[in-house]
Amino acid sequence: MTSTSATVSTALGVTEWAIRERRPGELVLETDAAALPALADRAVLHLNGRLMSLFASDERSITGRFLVHHVWFLPGVRTFLHISAPVDPAAPSYPSIAAKYPAANWFEREVMDFFGLAPEGHPNPTRVALHDDWPDGAWALRMDFPYDRAVPRVPGDFHPFRPVTGEGVFQVPVGPVHAGIIEPGHFRFGVAGEPVLYLQLRLFYVHKGIEKRFEQLPWRHGLFLAESISGDTAVGHALAYAHAIERLADVMVPPRARALRVILLELERMYNHTADIGALATDVAFTVPASRAQALREGLVRLQDQLFGTRLLRGTIALGGVKCDLSPQGCDVLRTHLHVFEKEFDDLITLLIDSGTFTDRVDGTGILTNQAARDLGIVGIAARASGVDADLRRDHPHDAYEGLPFEVPVEDGGDVRARLMVRAREVEQSLLILHQVLDAMSDAPLVAQLPDRLPARSSALGWVEAWRGPCTHWVATGDRGEIIRVKVTDPSFLNWPGLVHAVPGNIIPDFPVINKSFNLSYSGNDR
Amino acid sequence: MFSIIAKSLKTGLLTETNPFGTHPSFGFPVIDFARCTSCEECARSCPTGAIATATPAPGLKTLSLSYAACIQCRECVTGCPEQVVGVSTEVEIAAYSREQLTQTASFDIDPTTGRSTFSKVDVLPGLSLRESAARLRERIRGRLGRSLHVRQVDAGSCNACELEIAATTNPLYDMERFGIHLVASPRHADVLLVTGPVTRNMEIALRRTYEAAPEPRVVVAVGACGCSGGIFGEGTYAAVGGVDRVVPVDVYIPGCPPRPQAILNGLLVAMGVREARIGSEPGR
Repeated sequence: MTSTSATVSTALGVTEWAIRERRPGELVLETDAAALPALADRAVLHLNGRLMSLFASDERSITGRFLVHHVWFLPGVRTFLHISAPVDPAAPSYPSIAAKYPAANWFEREVMDFFGLAPEGHPNPTRVALHDDWPDGAWALRMDFPYDRAVPRVPGDFHPFRPVTGEGVFQVPVGPVHAGIIEPGHFRFGVAGEPVLYLQLRLFYVHKGIEKRFEQLPWRHGLFLAESISGDTAVGHALAYAHAIERLADVMVPPRARALRVILLELERMYNHTADIGALATDVAFTVPASRAQALREGLVRLQDQLFGTRLLRGTIALGGVKCDLSPQGCDVLRTHLHVFEKEFDDLITLLIDSGTFTDRVDGTGILTNQAARDLGIVGIAARASGVDADLRRDHPHDAYEGLPFEVPVEDGGDVRARLMVRAREVEQSLLILHQVLDAMSDAPLVAQLPDRLPARSSALGWVEAWRGPCTHWVATGDRGEIIRVKVTDPSFLNWPGLVHAVPGNIIPDFPVINKSFNLSYSGNDR
Repeated sequence: MFSIIAKSLKTGLLTETNPFGTHPSFGFPVIDFARCTSCEECARSCPTGAIATATPAPGLKTLSLSYAACIQCRECVTGCPEQVVGVSTEVEIAAYSREQLTQTASFDIDPTTGRSTFSKVDVLPGLSLRESAARLRERIRGRLGRSLHVRQVDAGSCNACELEIAATTNPLYDMERFGIHLVASPRHADVLLVTGPVTRNMEIALRRTYEAAPEPRVVVAVGACGCSGGIFGEGTYAAVGGVDRVVPVDVYIPGCPPRPQAILNGLLVAMGVREARIGSEPGR
C-alpha cells in the first residue's frame, strides 16, 4: 500500500485494498458499473481528475463479460487512475457520465458504435464513429467480429443534420474532400450572413480500423502501425505504444535511449509547430512569413533525414529503446542547426506579431474560454492556450523529462493568437530542452532486450505528451501473451469538440485560421 | 512593411535548381537474389507482407518483393541472416502498375536436403515500363501540355503523404515552376493525386471526385497505402485497400511516405514528361 493509493482511496471513498498500484504511476480500481458515476464525481471533485480516455474491451472469451474503462489523470498525486467495470453481455449497458462530464460524450458513443454497449442516460446517444450506411448490430471491435469482414452498405439517404430555420439563415456544407491538401471531414455551418451560428462536425471518414488491426499484427509489428496513426505524430504514438509494451514486459529503457527519445519528441514538436505557424500566416494570406516558416520547417525535416535517415522521424523508436543514435559529430550538427534556427524563428515570430494586418486577424478570433476548455476536457496546446496549465512532460514525466528544468507556456486568451503564442513559446522551451539533453548524454546501450513473449492476461498504459497533446495507448494481452486490445487515444479526439465551441460567432472566412490554430488530426481521431 | 521587404531581400532565392539532386540516406530494400538462400526471415520480419514466398510447384519456391507495399521500415535489412538485403538510395520510383513494382525470383529446392538455390529472376507478365509509358502518352496525347492541374484526395491516409505533398510546394522544391499547380476542385483537375488505403467511408467520395474530373483524368496513387493498402491491409471492415480497387490508377508512387522529389517525379511521369523508373536497373 503506497501513500498515493491511500490518498486516492480516501478521496474516492473506497476501501484501501480495492486500489492497486499496477505499475508506477498507474492505479487500478475494479468496481461495479453502477459505481462509475459516483467515482467520476469524486475523482473530479476531490482529485481534480481529468478524463484521458474511456473505452471498452471484450473479454467474453476469458471472463464472459465486457469491461468498460475510465482512465483519469490525477494531477495532484501525479498518477493515472484506471477504473474498470464489468458489463454483462446479456444486459449490454452501463451508466453514462457524459451529461455531467462532456469529455465522455464521444467516447461513450464510440463504445456504443464499436461494442454495442449502451451508455444509459447519455444526453445524445447517437452514432459518432459509424456512418449512416453501416448496419445496426455489427460491432467491429467485438472479438468475434472478423477484421476482414466486408459489411454491405445500408442503402438510404443522407445524414440528418440539425436543421436551421429563420429568415436569412442557411447551411454551408464543406467536405469531406476539402479544397486544400488536408484530411477529409465534413463541416456543416449554420450561418446568418457571414457569422457562424453553430458548427456540426462529421468525422471518421478515415476510419481505418487501426485498433482492430493491432489485434491482427504480431506485437512487435504494432510499432509500425502506431507510427501510422497520425503521420505528424509518428514519434508520439510510436513512443506511447512502446511505453505500454515496455511497462507490460517490465523492461527498463537505457538512459541514452531515454535521452534520444526526448530529442526525437522535441524535434517532432518543433517541426510541427513551425509548420503550423506558417500555415496560420498562409491562411491570412501573409506570404513572406508563410514561406519563411515552410523553409524553416523543411530545414528541420532535412536535418532529421541527415541525422536519422528519416524525414518525418518514422522508424526511430524501438520497443525497449531507439533505433537511431547520435554521434558526437551528429550532436554538433544538431547544435549548430538549432543556433541558426533559433535566430530565424525569432525573426519569424517578430515579423508576424509586429504586423497589424496579421494580429488583426488572429486577436480575439476563435476564442475557447477557460471554462469551456475545462468542461470539455480539452488537452495539449489548445488547453494551454485557454489557461489550462497541464503538460504530462512535467506533471507525470516519461523518458528523460524527469528532473529536466523547463517551463510550460500557458496563455489566457484562448484565441488564435494564444494558440500561436503557446506554440512559439514551446519552441523556445524545446530548444532549451534539446541543449540540456545534448549536453548530458550518457554512454549506454540504445535498446533493452525484450522477452519473446508478453505476459499473459495483463495490461498496461503508455502515455506521451506529444506536440499536439497527450497520446495514450492501453494494451491488453490474452492467455498466450497475444494482444487482445489496444485503445489509442489521440489528443484530437478530446479536442475536436473544442473547435465546435470556438467557431460560433466568428465569420466563415475566419474558419480556416481557427481550424488551423487547433490543427487537429483527422486520422488520429478516426483511427 | 520595411522589415518584410528587408527579410525577403536578405533571404534571397531558396529554390533548388535541381530538386532531384539530393541524395537521401535510404530508399527501398534490394535483395541480392543470387546470394539469397530463401530462408524466409525477411518475409517473416516484414510487417506489411511486401516480401512474400510461395511454392507454386514441388521443388520450386519463389520469393517476391513488392515496393507497392513496402513501408521502408528496414526490418528485412536487419532481419536477413545472410546480409543479402541491402538498401538503395533510389527514391524517385514510379510505375504504371502494381506488378511493375514487384520483383520475383525462383529457387530450386533440393528434395533430399531441402536446401534451396537461386535459379532465376522471373519475368512477370504484363506491360514493360516503356510499353506502359507509350500507352499513357497515347491516352493523354499531349493534352496536358506543359501544365498540370492537380487535385489531391486523401482517401484514408495517416496524413504523412499529405505532409510530403505539401512540402513539394515549399520554396525549396517549388513544384509550380514545373507547371504543376494544386487546384481546389476536381472540376479543374487533370490529375487526381490520391492517398490512403481507401476507407469504406471515403470510397463513395473518391468515386464521386473521380467522376467530377474531366477526361483525360489521370490518377496517381501515392504511398504504400495508396499503392497497396500498406500496413492497414486490403479488404477489411474499414478499408477497401489500394486506390486501384476503386478507380483506375495510371501512376503508382510507392513509399511511406514518398519523399517530395518522388512525388514530383511521379507527377512528371503522369504528365508524360518523364518515364517511370523502379530502380537503377529496372530488370524488365
